[in-house]
Amino acid sequence: MLIEPSFIHDQLSMTDLEFNICVDDYSDGVYRFILKISKNKEDTRDIVQTAFEKLWVNREKVKTLKAKSYLFTVAYHLMIDQLRKESKIIMTDSFDENANAITQGSSELKQLLLEAINNLNPTQKSLILLKDYEGYSYQEIGEIMQLSESQVKVYLHRARLILKNKLTHLEKMSA
Amino acid sequence: MINENNYETYFMSFIDNELNAAERAAVEAFVLTEPKYAAALALFEKTKLHAPNIEMEDKIFLYRFPEMDAKLDGDFKKSLYRKQAPVRKIIFTPNLMRASFAIAAMLILLIGLQLFKSESNVSESNIVESYIVETPLKDKTTVASTNILIPTENQTLANVALTTKAIAKNKTILASTNNTSNSINTNIVSSSSSQAIGENNSQNIVVAKFNEAQISSSSMETMATEEEKTILTTNYKEIDTEEEDRTINIGILEIDAAAFRGITRKFSALLKRNKIEK
Repeated sequence: MLIEPSFIHDQLSMTDLEFNICVDDYSDGVYRFILKISKNKEDTRDIVQTAFEKLWVNREKVKTLKAKSYLFTVAYHLMIDQLRKESKIIMTDSFDENANAITQGSSELKQLLLEAINNLNPTQKSLILLKDYEGYSYQEIGEIMQLSESQVKVYLHRARLILKNKLTHLEKMSA
Repeated sequence: MINENNYETYFMSFIDNELNAAERAAVEAFVLTEPKYAAALALFEKTKLHAPNIEMEDKIFLYRFPEMDAKLDGDFKKSLYRKQAPVRKIIFTPNLMRASFAIAAMLILLIGLQLFKSESNVSESNIVESYIVETPLKDKTTVASTNILIPTENQTLANVALTTKAIAKNKTILASTNNTSNSINTNIVSSSSSQAIGENNSQNIVVAKFNEAQISSSSMETMATEEEKTILTTNYKEIDTEEEDRTINIGILEIDAAAFRGITRKFSALLKRNKIEK
């Protein structure tokens, strides 16, 4: 179920050029975000395609400056619907292929961190990804995920504590 | 204010970049107070992910091109419409229905009559043929009862005529002026035919040759009147009329010939009787 975000306003219609700029700037980010959670390239491509189609259909309502948030919102809800449909809530090894992206620590530390992230629920995972990958604020994440700002903060901190405890455990084991 | 109980929340907000400048400065100052807090902040920093360099494939399909919104000219689009020819509907009025039924009934009657005629011609021809074959035998009352002699296929009427004339000239006639002579001839024909049947089942050759000496002078005059009653010297094929398994095929139906003949005879006898009574 997709709820229209609050940033839809009446304005001049988005032009083809503006839309293509949005594709250049945001398509990789949306794709990366969805791929990390869904782990299925085909599904991810479909979701991104649908998100941009919706943006074009609603181009008269969505401000160009808010197009990124709109795309992430639509894509996130499409992904959740897809996961519910396919019962793919358990997501494992989705970060394996991108282990080199995590720059800190040793390889064992990275591996443990990846396992810890994979063990997070989709909401926590989405929060971490939107915050760390895309740099969204708590408020923006709340708009995308239909959560309040305080909820975003609590859920995100909970996820970080889980990751921190895992890393602490590993460091104790290695010491 | 940052203290030992809430420093983790501040540290996480710090790495999430959600603190204002004053709060950030407070966190940095707090970290310097004890080394364990610096280690804790470093550990929280390690939980922060860095975006991998992943690019979407087939991004080209997401772009919009002016051609995508191209529309056909209205007049040209109208020229593409298919114009369907009006369909003529046949309305069956009561008069038309009656006429069609009448035509259909007439056609059925005509076809039925045609079929009936063709069948009756076939049956009549069969009866006539058998009658022609049987008639001389009955008139002569000489030949054995059930054997009917008909000409074989390779024999023509011309041959029959020639042989008849030859027999007349040679006076090879079957003559009889009285009952005795009839009986004699009958015996001759029947004996010869029975002998021929015994010798050969397929063909009987009946040859009657009589010498002038064998014919009495008293019978000469009467014989002249009966010259026409000559016996044809010909080959005959035997047909057994008592054969039970003979069948008549009318279309798909297969009817027993003997039974059919019996029924037709009874039917004709009834008709005759009715006529007489009337």
